[in-house]
Amino acid sequence: MWWDALLDPFRGKAVTIPPMDGAFRPNTLLETAETFAEVAHPEALLVYEGRLLVASGADLLAFPLEGGAPTLFRRFETTISALGAFPDGGLAIALVAGEIRFLGGRFDGRVITEVAGRRIHAPTALATAGEGVVYVADGSARFAADDWQSDLMAHGASGAVLRLDLAEGEGRILADGLAWPAGLLVEPDRSVIVSEASRHRLLRITGDGRSKPQPVLSNLPGYPARLARATTGGIWLTLMAPRNRLVELVLTERAYREDMVATVPRDLWIAPQMSSGNSFLEPLQCGGVVTMGVRKPWAPGRSYGLIARLDDHFRPISSLHSRADGRRHGIKDMVEIGGVLFAASRGGNAVLEIETGAA
Amino acid sequence: MTLIETRALSKSYRGNLAVDAVDFDIAEGEVHALLGENGAGKSTLTKMIAGVVPPSSGEILLDGKPVTFDGPADALKQGIAMVFQETSLVPSMTVAQNLYLGDEKFLNRLRGVAISAQQFLQSLNFTVDPTATVATLGAAKRQMVEIARAVRLKARIIIFDEPTATLTPEEKRHFFALVRRLKERKVAVIFISHALEEALQISDRITVMRDGARVVTDVTANFTRETIVRAMVGRTLAGSDAARKTTVRPVGDKVLSVQDLSMGAIVKNTSFSIFAGQITGLFGLVGSGRTETAKIIAGVMKRDFNRGGEVALDGKPVRYNTPRPAMQDGIVYVTEDRKLEGFFETMSIAENLYSGHLAAGENKIPVVSWAEMTRLAESWSRTLNIRAINPDARVVELSGGNQQKVVIGKGLVQKPRLVIFDEPTRGVDVAAIAEIHHLIEKLADDGLAVVVISSYLPEILKLSDRILVCRQGRVVEEFSPLDASEERIMYASVH
Repeated sequence: MWWDALLDPFRGKAVTIPPMDGAFRPNTLLETAETFAEVAHPEALLVYEGRLLVASGADLLAFPLEGGAPTLFRRFETTISALGAFPDGGLAIALVAGEIRFLGGRFDGRVITEVAGRRIHAPTALATAGEGVVYVADGSARFAADDWQSDLMAHGASGAVLRLDLAEGEGRILADGLAWPAGLLVEPDRSVIVSEASRHRLLRITGDGRSKPQPVLSNLPGYPARLARATTGGIWLTLMAPRNRLVELVLTERAYREDMVATVPRDLWIAPQMSSGNSFLEPLQCGGVVTMGVRKPWAPGRSYGLIARLDDHFRPISSLHSRADGRRHGIKDMVEIGGVLFAASRGGNAVLEIETGAA
Repeated sequence: MTLIETRALSKSYRGNLAVDAVDFDIAEGEVHALLGENGAGKSTLTKMIAGVVPPSSGEILLDGKPVTFDGPADALKQGIAMVFQETSLVPSMTVAQNLYLGDEKFLNRLRGVAISAQQFLQSLNFTVDPTATVATLGAAKRQMVEIARAVRLKARIIIFDEPTATLTPEEKRHFFALVRRLKERKVAVIFISHALEEALQISDRITVMRDGARVVTDVTANFTRETIVRAMVGRTLAGSDAARKTTVRPVGDKVLSVQDLSMGAIVKNTSFSIFAGQITGLFGLVGSGRTETAKIIAGVMKRDFNRGGEVALDGKPVRYNTPRPAMQDGIVYVTEDRKLEGFFETMSIAENLYSGHLAAGENKIPVVSWAEMTRLAESWSRTLNIRAINPDARVVELSGGNQQKVVIGKGLVQKPRLVIFDEPTRGVDVAAIAEIHHLIEKLADDGLAVVVISSYLPEILKLSDRILVCRQGRVVEEFSPLDASEERIMYASVH
């Protein structure tokens, strides 16, 4: 009714969170998945020359796909935030310091810190397309790639998607004003699907970046991150943390938030985290989440493990979970090869191995 | 000392046995909980005890002597009172006036009535203002007044039918304290509830009924939640397994998203989604808020003005104050109470179907088109296989199954995208049940979003592609029919 628009301001501000139902119906598939390797804070995964590359802090580790001890592929000065590979065997490595480095292949040794006049601040995801074309998700113009929580608490919307053609030496800003773009997927028509984490949605950006980005999936129950194509059709999407009513409330309370950010250690903020339940100092949420020392699976936690399977139209069709009482939280990246999905659980300090028939 | 006893008490409605030879007894000062699924026969049994419906066979013994009641007033005279969910108080009168209603003196002084009501309420330790108008009271206080009236009329047995369904936690505490006080006064209390926790907490003995028959009666200490649930659902596990689904339809687009929906104490922060091309089963016991939730979505009821949550259709927030805009957006609610809300009983099938057409705003000019009406009647009577003696038959003359088909047809005429069936097969014969089930399946196959609300678990398990369980005003659990069982669903709905 037309008068609802007039009445709405008096109805109170309700922040609602979509329920985890339908395709997001909770299960324990991530929690019960095999551990492929125990790795400290795995951030990004890539299948490269028959090996699984895992970014762990400043180290790039290479694991045989059939399992076994890793070898150190390369050590960098700062933390690695994203990985990408070119068809010619070259690697693109994003560092938290705001650099994209290229290893091997035609562009070996190049370092990029700026695209089309924009300094790269927070490279959160990389995607390659064809010879020398790389797309960069720059999470924020203010915070580093490992400081998403700060950007969220500041209501940041300064992220951008950049396109760089190394062969031609051309760079372009495809979209900006994004709230922490954290994942990229290049479509066959050269449009780019971007996960905009802090606005809980996926956007489509046209290849030339001239049209306004269009949402393809909105109102997700968590903060979306990396995207990857599934081998049997469809798309994998990681959601690095769950949405939570308390966090949503804090996001509406500016003074409280500023005070919290200024005075409380970051791990104890009322904010989404990659893992939780590690300290009694952590904020309890909504009460009753722990009974007799046992954390309830339905507790509104600050961290969660979630990978969603989307169909070709970006509709969620199934999902894999590690619930509030689990440990495999903060899924930052995943890659599927040979019917096996590898998932990097940053909070769980592990790379998981899931038969994709399970999803 | 046994106050009342039933021996082989039975009740049948048109050959359907609602209560089947039930032996039941209650002693002085005892709280006896009566548990069972919806349709187990609890209410019918207690209604016979309270004289609301006459038994078909069997006998009732009061203080060891056989009795028959001419009606509830007669039963009340003999000390048996029943408190229904919907209280029988006059809302515009004060508490005192309600207490003495029908028992006023020739020269009646309001002040005098209020004073004696005050004294009486104090003697019961009830904290209700006798001068307050009943309409201003909360549900628990209204129940207090109802109980006070029963006690004033010297009721020795008070029957509560789902007394706590609409109460807030605070009100429930009041209510339990009140039951304990009644117990101290040697009043026997029969307590029908779906809240097992409450039954275990408050009762001395528990009787579980199933399919009209008494399954077990024992002292409360011998029961656990698990044993009660098993006794409640035990019967048809084999039967429902036979109808178990082996595949479910894939998830389609999200048609409806309900987030933190609230309405008073009945619907409390419920959230769920409905998808196209799927049948979503909504199960819950009486008082779980499932019908109210559906009615809010369809604009029949209104959510809370403040912080009532959000309903989004295709991602766009909507708020319907009447059903008409909901219908125009393609939401159809097929009511559980077809006689009251489903059709115009003195109108023909064609007129009823055409009313659905009108409600959806399908006719462009404000003139009734007889040709269109006839066309609709013919096409939908054929599609739904509505059998009537003649095409102009009034709906009231049809069988229950055909009446239900008219109600469904009236909804489908509106070309909906989301259809909510509330108890679609209640009071419908077996053949029509199969037809209605087939129709519901077909709607989902055609890509519509379908919601089926049912109290009958085998029906939920047979039809649903996903099962949502409501408890105390919110959706608490989601099951896939592939791995759900009656026991698991029932467990979720009572815990």
